[in-house]
Amino acid sequence: MTYNPTRFVTGRIVRNEGRGEIFYRIEATIPEPLRFVPGQFAMVSGWPGNDPLLPRPLAVFRSGGTRGKGKIEFVYKVVGRGTALLSGLHPGETLSITLPLGRGFDLEQAGRTYWLVGGGVGFSSVFPAAALLGRRRNGFEMFLGARTRDHLPPKEWTPGGKAPGRTHFCTEDGTAGYHGRVTDAVLERMRELSPEAASRLTILACGPKEMLKEISTETLKRGIPAQVALENHMACGFGVCWGCVVTLWEGDRTAYRRVCRDGPVFDAREVVW
Amino acid sequence: MVTPDLSVSLGGLKVKNPVLSASGTFGYGLEYMPFYDISRLGAVVVKGLSLAPTPGNPPGRIVETAAGMLNAIGLQNIGVERFVGDVVPRLEDVGATFVANIYGKTMEEYEAVALRLSEVPSLGAIEVNASCPNVREGGMAFGATPGGIAALTGRVRRSTGKPLWVKLSPNVTDIAGIARAAEGAGADAVSLINTIVGMAVDHRTRRPQLSNVTGGLSGPAIKPVALRMTWEAAKAIKIPVIGIGGIQSAADALEFLLVGASAVQVGTANFRNPRACVDILEGMEAFFREERIAALADYRGGLRMENSP
Repeated sequence: MTYNPTRFVTGRIVRNEGRGEIFYRIEATIPEPLRFVPGQFAMVSGWPGNDPLLPRPLAVFRSGGTRGKGKIEFVYKVVGRGTALLSGLHPGETLSITLPLGRGFDLEQAGRTYWLVGGGVGFSSVFPAAALLGRRRNGFEMFLGARTRDHLPPKEWTPGGKAPGRTHFCTEDGTAGYHGRVTDAVLERMRELSPEAASRLTILACGPKEMLKEISTETLKRGIPAQVALENHMACGFGVCWGCVVTLWEGDRTAYRRVCRDGPVFDAREVVW
Repeated sequence: MVTPDLSVSLGGLKVKNPVLSASGTFGYGLEYMPFYDISRLGAVVVKGLSLAPTPGNPPGRIVETAAGMLNAIGLQNIGVERFVGDVVPRLEDVGATFVANIYGKTMEEYEAVALRLSEVPSLGAIEVNASCPNVREGGMAFGATPGGIAALTGRVRRSTGKPLWVKLSPNVTDIAGIARAAEGAGADAVSLINTIVGMAVDHRTRRPQLSNVTGGLSGPAIKPVALRMTWEAAKAIKIPVIGIGGIQSAADALEFLLVGASAVQVGTANFRNPRACVDILEGMEAFFREERIAALADYRGGLRMENSP
């Protein structure tokens, strides 16, 4: 895997727009373009003062630009004071960004079909994977779940690419697409697969913990490899504070591992739920 | 104007400037190499080391609070052997001055860790953690009373010839008395404050927010307490005091020097700005240049008490 070494940069906000008061998309210029692995994240702050103190971990949504003029985008949901303050920042204001961070999805296995599963704002780390697979003409399908149609990502945010995969929208209230939970949609679709097709399948998932737990349990039962992107409260984001640990299996023992550095993407078999 | 002389002697360890990293916020130092050359710092103080690797507390280790954060990491660390074998050579390669923070469950363990580290010629000093609030055996039992501090300091003192710093807890009634006890038992310097014991609960789930229930408060929220305790300790003892607690900027660091600290350690600020230590160092240099102060010694302890404020 190639990605740029981690750095701490100042970004200048170009756009910071809310969509349906649920998701925000913030774009900033940074000194140099960024190469990142889908699933990697950044620590982002920009509000003045010491309160809240800590930056917020956000998945890298898109990057671009040219030499000497990079661009970076994040999608976020307002969940607390930090993200509320972030949503109030204007074009021209600055962000402090540490990036890229963590281990992203492993998309380098030959001959695999990928199913990408995003629950809620989890699409923000799944879309970059879809964009990459689309560019490579690697077969994939995407499952996006939300409570209602208003909680689904806006259609125009869905990555295109040369070979866009099939996208299944799912809502718990049935206002759009499949009526039910995204996990059920994935399992139903799985039943349609031939054993041969199922043997080529790898699942990548990001979303609420309950969703990831269920995806892990169901894929493990069927012997399908799955990679799950976990979230946690973080202080630093680059491995020094040891605040964001989760419990992982290591052989028949368990150990505390950092979401920020050892993850955020883990093999589903490793995670102690 | 010539570059101001920021060098200072910290209980037998001469450092080129008074900006140090605080233990527990800086990993083993190397994690910061992507951001800047850590050999620029006065010293790197590494995460607390125990005799054997320590797994730490279960998840639910940090929570953000007003202008600060609570942590209950539980001193997860790789153990002294791996530190000496894997980390020390790399710290030597980058040319960093480094200090090992140590803790033990028992006096004997402190002694054993100190003995092992004394065999490392490049190690600048040993900082004894007599103040971790998050594990029962994190030193608080020793750090809460003058008698406990004196006993622990004396034991480690007899097991090492390295400069010996003792890191003090703020969770005490009389910090001056504790500092005097450390000095009397042979400490070469004291560093303070460690985190202040705190707690956060969720009023909806009705649960504590940390798995350990209580944790250590750090960040700008604790700076006034840290400054007061640094001032009290500096007045009480002759050995150097290293000020710690909520330092976010060069101005914050200078305030600690003014009340008598010989140096500072920067902690939680490193989490939100990985360059915090060098930013503070550069800000301090700029301040001395602007004010035409030739040396740190000309400024340190210069708090004006007449007609205050």
